[in-house]
Amino acid sequence: MSLEIQNLHVRVEGADEILHGVDLRVEKGETHALMGPNGSGKSTLANTIMGNPSYEITEGGIFLNGEDLTEADPDERARAGIFMAFQYPATIPGVSVANFLRLAVNAGREEPIRVKEFGELLRKNMEMLKIDPQFNKRYLNEGFSGGEKKRAEILQLAMLRPEIAVLDETDSGLDIDALRIVSDGVNELRGPELGALIITHYTRILRYVRPEFVHIMLDGRIVRQGGPELADLLEAEGYEGIRAEVAASAG
Amino acid sequence: MPASASTNRFLEERRRAALEVYEREPVPTWRRSGFWTTSLKRLRLDELEPRRYEPLDSVQDLDPVVAEAIGEPDELGGLIVQRGASTVLCWLDPEVAEQGVVLSSLERAFEKRPEAVERWYMRRLSEGEGKFPAATAAFWTGGAFVWVPPEVAVEKPLQVVYLLDEPGVAQYAHTLGVVGELSQCRIREYDLAPDLDGQALHSGAFELYCRAGSQVRLAHFQDWGAGEVHDISTKRVEIARDAHCAWTPIHLGGHLTRQTLDIVTAESGSDMRHKGIYFTEGAEHLDLFTTDLKEQPHTNGDTVWKGALTGESRASYEGLIQIVRGAQESHTYLQTHSMLLSPRARTDAIPSLIVETDNVSASHGGTVGELDDELVFYMMTRGIPRSEAVRILVEGYFEEVVQALEDPSLEALVRRRIAAKLEAAEEQVVEFIAERG
Ligand SMILES: Nc1ncnc2c1ncn2[C@@H]1O[C@H](COP(=O)(O)OP(=O)(O)O)[C@@H](O)[C@H]1O
Ligand SMILES: [Mg+2]
Repeated sequence: MSLEIQNLHVRVEGADEILHGVDLRVEKGETHALMGPNGSGKSTLANTIMGNPSYEITEGGIFLNGEDLTEADPDERARAGIFMAFQYPATIPGVSVANFLRLAVNAGREEPIRVKEFGELLRKNMEMLKIDPQFNKRYLNEGFSGGEKKRAEILQLAMLRPEIAVLDETDSGLDIDALRIVSDGVNELRGPELGALIITHYTRILRYVRPEFVHIMLDGRIVRQGGPELADLLEAEGYEGIRAEVAASAG
Repeated sequence: MPASASTNRFLEERRRAALEVYEREPVPTWRRSGFWTTSLKRLRLDELEPRRYEPLDSVQDLDPVVAEAIGEPDELGGLIVQRGASTVLCWLDPEVAEQGVVLSSLERAFEKRPEAVERWYMRRLSEGEGKFPAATAAFWTGGAFVWVPPEVAVEKPLQVVYLLDEPGVAQYAHTLGVVGELSQCRIREYDLAPDLDGQALHSGAFELYCRAGSQVRLAHFQDWGAGEVHDISTKRVEIARDAHCAWTPIHLGGHLTRQTLDIVTAESGSDMRHKGIYFTEGAEHLDLFTTDLKEQPHTNGDTVWKGALTGESRASYEGLIQIVRGAQESHTYLQTHSMLLSPRARTDAIPSLIVETDNVSASHGGTVGELDDELVFYMMTRGIPRSEAVRILVEGYFEEVVQALEDPSLEALVRRRIAAKLEAAEEQVVEFIAERG
């Protein structure tokens, strides 16, 4: 059971290639960290995994449990078991958090969830993420602070229980308390049923959510892969140190 | 053209003056912003007639569009239905009648209480406004009169319905409402037709006076179906000292509609909220012109219009804020949003401002746009199919205005009708969104 990215080349219309052949494999039960400086292509990878039509795949493919999803619509990918927490979540006017979650939960089921069961699930997950119950009446992300938006993303993750979760900079913009709550929530959801790809710019979140594998991305390529020690190396040397090393070994 | 049923001298005089204007004025064409034209050249006015009908016993005897729209009759405080040229149903809850409320045809009101009616009739409307206002003033029959005495609170809505259920009919309609000092009530006027096979005309006048300290919720609901109904109407609401009116016009169907909607905060402390919706489809043509007129100091306003278009429909909205000399310390906002759901639909939104005094705040803004791809993508990443995502987003877009109705059965009606329109247009809308993606 895995998400597999093979030799992925991606560009946006009318612009140069952004990803130049990315390979990555995330098995269920594993936690991976994808690290890279701003502009290295992390969000492009996350959006391409989800099938954002703004990004065009020119070569390579995306597979879930061996099934080719390269051409699939985003909703099919979601129903197949992939989830992404957005770096910049969209605001959905007129749709409350609770309604939105019900729609999303039901989209992945044959029979709609029973009202009571849904209510209990929602309450439990909101408690876990220390979200005020009033929150679920508000329109999704409308007037939310940065931290509230990120929490709402993790609430969706908790409600939808995907096989593979891509978290795009869920840690950025959070203060320490919020980071701890969100990290605790993610840790709660980790387990043999979930493969996680945690995208981050900073090493900070990795102190709370320990990954087994770390990948470093520079300029649209994964340039280093390893275990948690790679995050420590990055912390010591910074992206510039890594970049210099990569340049030296290439040259 | 029919002779008036009434022998009221005052009314006869007004009708005569109106007829003169009618005969003098040509059929108008409205032009705006260079490219926008509303023309009646396809309306075969000569082939239409004001048709009379016998009174009926119950809503069930009417075309089903009426029962579908008004919901449970016992949730109403009163109901008056005009079919074509005739009042066919009029009924008032005895408890509401006991409070002194009157709901009757305007013809009958001219007979029964001429002083009250003459005092208010066409205070804010004029036959001089053009051919159709003149036609309405000259030829109206039936009509509706809503009278709420001072210091009463009427919970249940007072419901007026204009029904066109056959082609070939011209309906000249006039509603006069007066809400007394410190009273509270809700008034609904619905314009309804099934899908007619042919042409019909609704030429309408609506005037409502919200007297000092009153609190009024007013809803207009227009759904003329898919037939060739032409609607040319003028609606005007006057709000007196310290009174508040929330006016929510909903336009969900009409072959060709030209409406002037004016809301006058006429005395200090008067306050209004004006939130409207339109949704055009097929080859419909909608032309709305609203004015937020502030006549005295310390008057407030808040106007929001939201529209959506499918098919080859056309919608044009012009919203004017006018603050006259002496109306200082007034505050008002106007926002207009329009969403294109088809590559062949066309829309424009023109907010404008005339401020003749200092010390006021007035702002306006407008957007014309398409559904945001990023929102559709976001919803799809949650497993929601594209067609459902589009439907939810469009419904969500209107929700702000729908909730402003604060009338559960009308809210449900509007949601139902919007959902049906989206379903009817689903294929083209989804294709449009997907192609842009
Ligand atoms: N939709 C887009 N249109 C144009 N350029 C884009 C778009 N998305 C990303 N890019 C470009 O691709 C590069 C990688 O961006 P991104 O994937 O957002 O990086 P990261 O998430 O690592 O900060 C940047 O140079 C960015 O400007
Ligand atoms: Mg990013």
